[in-house]
Amino acid sequence: MPSGPDLHRLTIVASALVALAFALTACSQFEPRDKRFYYRALWNFSLREDLAELDSEFNGVDFGHSNLYENLLLTGAKDVTAIEERARKETLAFIATRPRLNPNEEAIAPTYMKLAWRAQNTFDEAHALHRATYDIVVSDEPDKDRAIRDVLAYYRNSAYAITSKRLDHRRLDQFPYSKAFRTRFPLFNATIWSYHYLQVAVYDPLQAAKNLTAKTKAVRPILTTYRGYLDQPPVQWTFMPLTAEYSPAFAARYPELANIFDNLHMLHDNISDILTSERLPTWEAKREEIYRVVDHYYLASADEANPMIVRSEQEHRH
Amino acid sequence: MNRLGLQAAGLLPLILLLWQPIPSRALDHDNLDPNRPIGMEDAYAIPKGEIGLEGGVRFNDRREGRTQVTFQPQIIYGAFDNTQIEIQGDLFTDPRSIAGANKSGDLHLGVLYNFNTETLTLPAMALRVEVDLPTGVNSKGVDTQLTGILTRSFGRLRVHLNAGYTVLSSPQGQERPGAYRAVAAVSYPLGYPSSFRDTLIASIYTRQSDLRGQQHHTGIEVGIRHQLTSRLVVDGGLGTEFLGPSERAALLGTMGLSVGF
Repeated sequence: MPSGPDLHRLTIVASALVALAFALTACSQFEPRDKRFYYRALWNFSLREDLAELDSEFNGVDFGHSNLYENLLLTGAKDVTAIEERARKETLAFIATRPRLNPNEEAIAPTYMKLAWRAQNTFDEAHALHRATYDIVVSDEPDKDRAIRDVLAYYRNSAYAITSKRLDHRRLDQFPYSKAFRTRFPLFNATIWSYHYLQVAVYDPLQAAKNLTAKTKAVRPILTTYRGYLDQPPVQWTFMPLTAEYSPAFAARYPELANIFDNLHMLHDNISDILTSERLPTWEAKREEIYRVVDHYYLASADEANPMIVRSEQEHRH
Repeated sequence: MNRLGLQAAGLLPLILLLWQPIPSRALDHDNLDPNRPIGMEDAYAIPKGEIGLEGGVRFNDRREGRTQVTFQPQIIYGAFDNTQIEIQGDLFTDPRSIAGANKSGDLHLGVLYNFNTETLTLPAMALRVEVDLPTGVNSKGVDTQLTGILTRSFGRLRVHLNAGYTVLSSPQGQERPGAYRAVAAVSYPLGYPSSFRDTLIASIYTRQSDLRGQQHHTGIEVGIRHQLTSRLVVDGGLGTEFLGPSERAALLGTMGLSVGF
């Protein structure tokens, strides 16, 4: 064991570090990292291994969101060309590389990650759920319903889980700063909505197809439509694509998943608006609003008091 | 440099050149652990629930004495929130009777706790506690190490500071009873915005010599981590010590593999 003086020295160093840690926890910018590994199962990576064409598009989508947020922050969302032309085309160029692995989002958006890590962790958990459901649907897992129940239970176990209740997206789109992003950057907004189209539109065709060959064939028309949207962003759309519109069978079978994914996509829109709006002029103001929105309206932990939850069918105005 | 050292040095660039992407999600090549491939680490633990199997071969072509090769098997487990535990047991070729805390066959147990993620005003901070149990060749007593770690990014460039102190409970002969080590390192993702598979790492370090009365070991290392598949990361590194005792490293080289599942 360490001798007296050395043990004493170690104890002093350890005590100083522990005291520093306690002091830092009182700091408003102190945030735990809380990264969690994805749900481990035999079907992990089925999409990547068996339907790489679709998987690579999702890898491109991961780049798109992070690249947008970083550019909005660094340009103050004032330079239309920087967002609509440069950042959007960077994203399209990355998608065109058909990336076989998902990109390191902390390398794409180092500033945004430091600004709003908790929101990013919320995205990461929901994106992992998205990926898991694709893997299950594509895999030869015999009991897909059970696998989806298991992965949903794992997701809900996270402190960063988005509510699986239906939220009133129209109300969530009526904050004072809402629509700032789509108004100033309609091309990039339509590109983001195109990603969300792809993410929700593939479920029904994948589920309906009986085998891998059929699944590969079934997603082709959607990929063609999606790539068309990337070339000619659907600026005429006035609201984000919803799961029930494009994959009604999936949404009927797994309503909680459909709600989580729609809520996730709405949160993306809210954060784009917050990062764009001059009503929140400083990074600190943007961070506070992002966290307010996430904590009060999106996290499952806020369900009891969340005023955005649709409590009856009549309230739902989509 | 002797023959073994030259062969290993020649092999490393060749392996780096032959790395080709293979399809397959992602063990995080941007999460830096000690010796994978160089002697530094960042302040982040692996995600909760992840299991990592890591292994590497490290050669130390010394200015005096025989080249030493070290095999570095390691298991890492994200046991709790922001906490990883590690089990490691380095195996050395001759000369095994070297001084210092780490002896061939010692069972090495470690815990890394990450206090926080980096924000606009705070760096990421972590604390590592390690013990070496005397299961190895010529090893006596339990050795203890405490290391503080900071990670701060500037754009895509990340700066890492590691400062540790090792206490030997049973120093033998002229061995120091305690020694400090300090590392300053940078890491940078290569390939942005078209590729995100590689992280370049460089460090400068200094540590007290294992024996009393000798100059500190001071050197530099450069390494790269490459995401080969969703679950595999390969790494390679080179280094040299430009100050230190006469048997300090002329050339250090490491090649390794990490599997996450």
